Amino acid sequence: MWSVTVTGALGVAVPTAAACRPKPFLISSSLPKQTTKLHLSPPQLTLTSHFSSSFKAAATSVQQQSDNKGESTKYYFLVANAKFMLDEEEHFQEQLFERLRYYGEREKELDFWLVIEPKFLDKFPKITQRLRRPAVALVSTNGSWITFMKLRLDRVLAESFEATSLDEALASNPTTLEFDKPKNWVAPYPKYEPGWWETFLPKKIEESVV
Amino acid sequence: MAAEMALVKPISKFASPKLTNPSKYLSGRRFSTVIRMSATSSPPPPTTVKSKKGTKKEIQESLLTPRFYTTDFEEMEQLFNTEINKNLNEEEFIALLQEFKTDYNQTHFVRNKEFKEAADKLQGPLRQIFVEFLERSCTAEFSGFLLYKELGRRLKKTNPVVAEIFSLMSRDEARHAGFLNKGLSDFNLALDLGFLTKARKYTFFKPKFIFYATYLSEKIGYWRYITIYRHLKQNPEFQCYPIFKYFENWCQDENRHGDFFSALMKAQPQFLNDWQAKLWSRFFCLSVYVTMYLNDCQRTNFYEGIGLNTKEFDMHVIIETNRTTARIFPAVLDVENPEFKRKLDRMVVIYEKLLAVGQTDDPSFIKNLKKIPLVTGLASEILAAYLMPPVESGSVDFAEFEPNLVY
Repeated sequence: MWSVTVTGALGVAVPTAAACRPKPFLISSSLPKQTTKLHLSPPQLTLTSHFSSSFKAAATSVQQQSDNKGESTKYYFLVANAKFMLDEEEHFQEQLFERLRYYGEREKELDFWLVIEPKFLDKFPKITQRLRRPAVALVSTNGSWITFMKLRLDRVLAESFEATSLDEALASNPTTLEFDKPKNWVAPYPKYEPGWWETFLPKKIEESVV
Repeated sequence: MAAEMALVKPISKFASPKLTNPSKYLSGRRFSTVIRMSATSSPPPPTTVKSKKGTKKEIQESLLTPRFYTTDFEEMEQLFNTEINKNLNEEEFIALLQEFKTDYNQTHFVRNKEFKEAADKLQGPLRQIFVEFLERSCTAEFSGFLLYKELGRRLKKTNPVVAEIFSLMSRDEARHAGFLNKGLSDFNLALDLGFLTKARKYTFFKPKFIFYATYLSEKIGYWRYITIYRHLKQNPEFQCYPIFKYFENWCQDENRHGDFFSALMKAQPQFLNDWQAKLWSRFFCLSVYVTMYLNDCQRTNFYEGIGLNTKEFDMHVIIETNRTTARIFPAVLDVENPEFKRKLDRMVVIYEKLLAVGQTDDPSFIKNLKKIPLVTGLASEILAAYLMPPVESGSVDFAEFEPNLVY
């Protein structure tokens, strides 16, 4: 939107020695307190009937792909620590819900997931040595979309891998995420409810934990 | 919704911005009432409603009016010529094109009868404020439409991918402007966009500055819309006009437009990687934030009317926009330093005095004399804010601090 414009009246004086205070992002001095425990009872998915069809479709495709042993599919992902992906960058969920709505409207099969502590990370030591844990990955078979999401989120690492089944691709080490409430929340609206990400966790895998 | 905009003819004239003869252009008036101007910087005069004859009113431009932009299209063609510039990250542009083609909001902008009913209920000062809000927003969206449309046309030969993205963004802007103009029809008004196209002054920016300015416009637009949306979702008693219910999906378009400018700047690293780029980045951040703050503080009635505290709303939007912008601009302002807000507040006080001088009946040379110390005061506040220690930033694809980042 173009609601604001630039005042033409600002005279620019060029500071000769502008003091610069580097403030790298994501390096927070105090790590968030996070508890890690086994996922004993998976959270109930509350889906509207509108969306459940695409989930059914996705589940079916999981089955089909699992049956197609041998044929490998390419999965693209981006990854960062869970605090960034799900808590600080909470508005990222708007995009995921938008895409889910769109897939529902077009009856498109779901091809993107959030994976908490994905097992495939073991294959990427260069990533894991720079990654705070627990980590969350956004995985999709649509490489272009992941490229776009990398452009959006920027402070994430992107890679791809091949897997012969969806189960294999999205396998994760179950972890429950809890984030501290922000100390200084000044937005004129409440934070999104924690747990919004459960809608995007791979369904099949949740069931297999039960 | 885009069809609505087919009324707008003189796009091809866009490249020559000095068309300022409004009297010749009177076609396309389908409504009984036509607004011939957009908002002024002072609280709206009660004269926006025109008689059936469509008496023309001078377009009152001020520093803070939503602006129309034009640029050096030949330089743009050069910048995105894939023959000349081999470093263009095709992959990112193709990803963006796919995202824009997806067209998430194709069926989103559909009105219902709630609109007219809500508009009829809005009476008194709030009604006037709403009209002004719709006008300003419509003008702003339309301004994006004009620029993107022309860029889409001009870049077709040298870079079809970038050109198509511009065209798809102009589709979005046309939809938004059309939707807002339909909103005006609930108040028995309509913006004559054809007239605006010809009569408004165009601000010329070199491509580099178009990138900074439009990136910020789009991202700040996203943060404004989503903040209003989430606030009203929580406080539905202030939901006095249904247009806000559309903001959640709507502002995702703005956010994507911003991403495209991000990619454009990444494709031209010379706009991001030297000390001048840092100075310009800070300059544009400051200009955009100050403009919004001064503008909005003149319109507290609107924000209070929908249950927001104007200054808190603006500071939230500024801080979030700045955090987003830090992912591409090589330097941003330290807006989270409380001193930054104190400076903004002092600017508001001076700016209000300036407006008050303008509204007196003094002869113009007396007015000008009275304005001198105020303008000086405002300029020095702005300069002081500009010189505050900045925050080093940038995309991790470029930033010097990347090797030390822990993700």
